[in-house]
Amino acid sequence: MRRENKTEIEDNIEIENEIEEMMPENNSPLIKFDHVSKFFKDDRIILDNINLEIKAGEFVSIVGPSGAGKSTLLKMVYVEEMPSEGSVYFDGVSLDMISRRKLPYHRRRIGTIFQDFKLLPQKTTFENVAYALEVCGLSKEEILQDVPQILDIVGLGDKMEKFPHELSGGEQQKVVLARALIHKPLVIAADEPTGNLDSANSLEIVKLLLEINKLGTTVILVSHDREIVNKANRRVILLDRGKIICDDAKGKYKIC
Amino acid sequence: MFLIIGRTIRASFINFWRNGWLSVAAVSVLVLALFVVGSVFMVGLVANDVLQNVEKKVSISVYFKTDISEEKILENKRDLENIKEISSVEYISKDKALEIFKRDNADEPVIMESLEEIGENPLLASLVIKADNPSQYQAVADYIANASFKDDVGRVNYGKNREIIDRLNGIIFQIKKVGLILVGIFGIVSILIIFNTIRITIYTHRQEIEVMRLVGSSNMFIRLPFIFEGIIYGVIASFIASLIILGTIKIINIYASAVVSSGNLFSFYLANALYVLGLQIIIGSFLGIASSWIAMRKYLKI
Repeated sequence: MRRENKTEIEDNIEIENEIEEMMPENNSPLIKFDHVSKFFKDDRIILDNINLEIKAGEFVSIVGPSGAGKSTLLKMVYVEEMPSEGSVYFDGVSLDMISRRKLPYHRRRIGTIFQDFKLLPQKTTFENVAYALEVCGLSKEEILQDVPQILDIVGLGDKMEKFPHELSGGEQQKVVLARALIHKPLVIAADEPTGNLDSANSLEIVKLLLEINKLGTTVILVSHDREIVNKANRRVILLDRGKIICDDAKGKYKIC
Repeated sequence: MFLIIGRTIRASFINFWRNGWLSVAAVSVLVLALFVVGSVFMVGLVANDVLQNVEKKVSISVYFKTDISEEKILENKRDLENIKEISSVEYISKDKALEIFKRDNADEPVIMESLEEIGENPLLASLVIKADNPSQYQAVADYIANASFKDDVGRVNYGKNREIIDRLNGIIFQIKKVGLILVGIFGIVSILIIFNTIRITIYTHRQEIEVMRLVGSSNMFIRLPFIFEGIIYGVIASFIASLIILGTIKIINIYASAVVSSGNLFSFYLANALYVLGLQIIIGSFLGIASSWIAMRKYLKI
């Protein structure tokens, strides 16, 4: 990925500064799973006593076979799921202490990316990203200022008026990434972001995620794509049947 | 804040429009419910008008014995006027009573003749008492029966119009009861249908709702469009129902105008149209909001 464009670099620096201001000052973990278990009604165990710490600025890949509980683990970070036992702490605060009214503000600290994109088909690239600001009550001026900036960062500055069906899978995922970044989140939670993409597009997305991480945003990547996890070459957590099998600081896919 | 309200109202109008026939169905059944609400309210207003007219004509007449002096009677009149349930007391002297009697019976030569034959004024002086409220006549009658001047009283004329009023009150009560039952039935049906319409709106917007939640849109912003949609149903249905009532009254005006005191049912309606419409908007919006709230409780995950 080439990005010699001067304004882009300036933008990046600006965002980097803003992110640094938002970082927690102490060295305590940004996200902490404390004896977290999750059962379904039929007593199926999804997660089994998970203890996990993720520090601010880390790039963590969570891997494992289907049904291992990877997505559930990730959903607990943005409170789509609640633990049956134990607690998840975010920035030192237990997530089950957050009231339903405050929950949206927590979700603005986390950008989410999905395998199925979740773009609104009747909206253009610009509108899809702008929507995230619109529904949070930002003014038109702020939207007109922020959205093109973020689309430039993911390299879609010239495709703002295109509808999702006019974009390739990789481009669509970049729109999702732009939408995830629009609130300047502390964490990017990516659930199989490359599941629907070919390997070239997948690599591009991972590169973007790495770049975002370099700017200070914590990235949690759930994937079973060996290639992209190896490409990231960062901390890898292997999950199987709800348990952490291994946790390597510099890992390869399925090394243990 | 204004931004949010503006955006959500826009969204709810779009929802309303895109739901097409579902919106038509929801509004229609709500129109039916509100038509009943408005009609019952109108009937109530007319009945009150009729009742008030009849009540104005109700009174108790206390006839005094011939040997009671006029001063004594006027003294009693003052005492009666001090009772708070009594709105007015009119003194009818013997002469005035004769005058009224002659006037009322001018066409009846037999009666006039026999009156001539008696030679003197056979009528008694009386006090005509009116109460504030027809239900208070019993108390007034009881008071007179035990009053200090009870020995002076020759005769008390009470209860002539009472039966009519009691019957009328009974009928009004029945109409209100049946009306409330109808409003209840139609209200429940409209809640069910609006509920279903909004459920479908929620379903067709599940993608947007999911994205809204993920990007941290406030709960109110997610919910408000559905609340507004319910209000839109209520308000539109209120106006349509009011128009239907207006048309209905215009048609029956010729046959039913004698009922009201002013003699024109249509103008009587126009004078009260805003109350009817206001009541319909309040009830309609309430039904709309209630149904969308139930639908959201059941189908909208936040």
